[in-house]
Amino acid sequence: MAEGAGTPEPIARLIEAFHRLPGIGPKSAQRLAYHILRVPPQEAEALASAIRDVKERIRFCSICLNITDTDPCAYCTDSRRDPSAICVVEQALDITAVERAGGFRGRYHVLHGVLNPIDGVGPEDLHIKELVTRLADGEVKEVIMATNSSLEGEATAMYIHRLVGPLGVKVTRLARGLPSGADLEYTDDLTLSRAFEGRQEI
Amino acid sequence: MAERPRTYTAEGVILRRRNIGEADSIFTVYSDREGKFDAVARGVRKTRSKMRGHLEPLTRSRFLIAKGRSLDVFAQAETVHHYRAVREDLDRAATAVYCAELVDRFTAERAPQEGLYSLLLGILDALEDGCGITVARYFEVQLLALSGYDLALDACALCTTPLAAEDTLLSPSAGGLVCRLCRPQAEGGRILGVRAVKVLRYARRATLDAFAALNLDPDLDAELRTALALVIRHTLERDLAATRFLEDVRRLPGPHPAPSPDGRVE
Repeated sequence: MAEGAGTPEPIARLIEAFHRLPGIGPKSAQRLAYHILRVPPQEAEALASAIRDVKERIRFCSICLNITDTDPCAYCTDSRRDPSAICVVEQALDITAVERAGGFRGRYHVLHGVLNPIDGVGPEDLHIKELVTRLADGEVKEVIMATNSSLEGEATAMYIHRLVGPLGVKVTRLARGLPSGADLEYTDDLTLSRAFEGRQEI
Repeated sequence: MAERPRTYTAEGVILRRRNIGEADSIFTVYSDREGKFDAVARGVRKTRSKMRGHLEPLTRSRFLIAKGRSLDVFAQAETVHHYRAVREDLDRAATAVYCAELVDRFTAERAPQEGLYSLLLGILDALEDGCGITVARYFEVQLLALSGYDLALDACALCTTPLAAEDTLLSPSAGGLVCRLCRPQAEGGRILGVRAVKVLRYARRATLDAFAALNLDPDLDAELRTALALVIRHTLERDLAATRFLEDVRRLPGPHPAPSPDGRVE
């Protein structure tokens, strides 16, 4: 970013660092940097150490590949959770979404991506092998594919279905239909036709 | 002088999507009148986006597009066909994505190629209607022809001697079949069996429906696929991402489309 020559180097560096964050434009980066300049030292220190900690202490769970500070992660060690169902998600953030919605009490598996035939993201780029390994002992009875309802998400779900289906595990897919608050008028035909097929008695 | 209109309409197939920023995506479309173009859809990754479902890759949609300074912007989008059976079947989805990538790679922006849009719709319709994925061979041969890389199939690509019905070399550098005498001069390529040669010629002159009815057996399809892949790689000077994906899918355990017991040609 082109900072004026008069900007002290540490500030310019901070602005530059903020600017690299998603959704932060040059103006916001500037505002954030000058905000940091004004806050008490301990608040700035807290931010700095939070950033350092997240990089130093967070790693992937060796079982489900969720991001965690303890290995295995809290979901994998929680004995109240049902070990016979695995919900497969694209990214760790999706676990938060599923947990927020509630209703699922099984375990997770994070693929860290999605098959993208157009951009050349193949199965070996995702953590699919680890999922297959988890299914080997026969404890898992159901794999719930909770990938996005996009071409890539569907392809990933179908791929995994074909891959692990022969192992005798039930593979299910999240229902697809109208999001709450949706306008029927603007709903695409595909969603609407799936919503019709999945209709339920009131 | 009348001011240039700030919006235009187009109908096309979404070839690919690239996400930018927090909620926007750029879509590459191959359209009837404009040819290939890129346009951005603002906020399309939010659940409440009205255009979201209408802009999925492999969807045929109608668009209202606003001209932008650098990139055009989708103002409205409405699905014409969502090719559901294609996207719900891994083999067919992978094949359709492969065809879409071919169109993307073989075309330049805003340069519509006569016949290409209907070829693309034809292949998507055929896959949707349950045709075997071997129709991709028809697509490859026809796309090469439409793009100015028409394969020489009836006469030698080098000396123009008419070719007999026999095993013949398909040479990417020569741009078609090469007779026995010229073979030493042609670099690379693959020798095709006589059945494969016949299928290639048929793909060049038959209609899509007629070709789809052939239902190539897996071995014959593999022979043609490998040979045509060499031609395509030679032409584009690059590998296609979708080819790799198709290979990944082929390695999976069943259910592949059942080959017909006697998928013979002629």
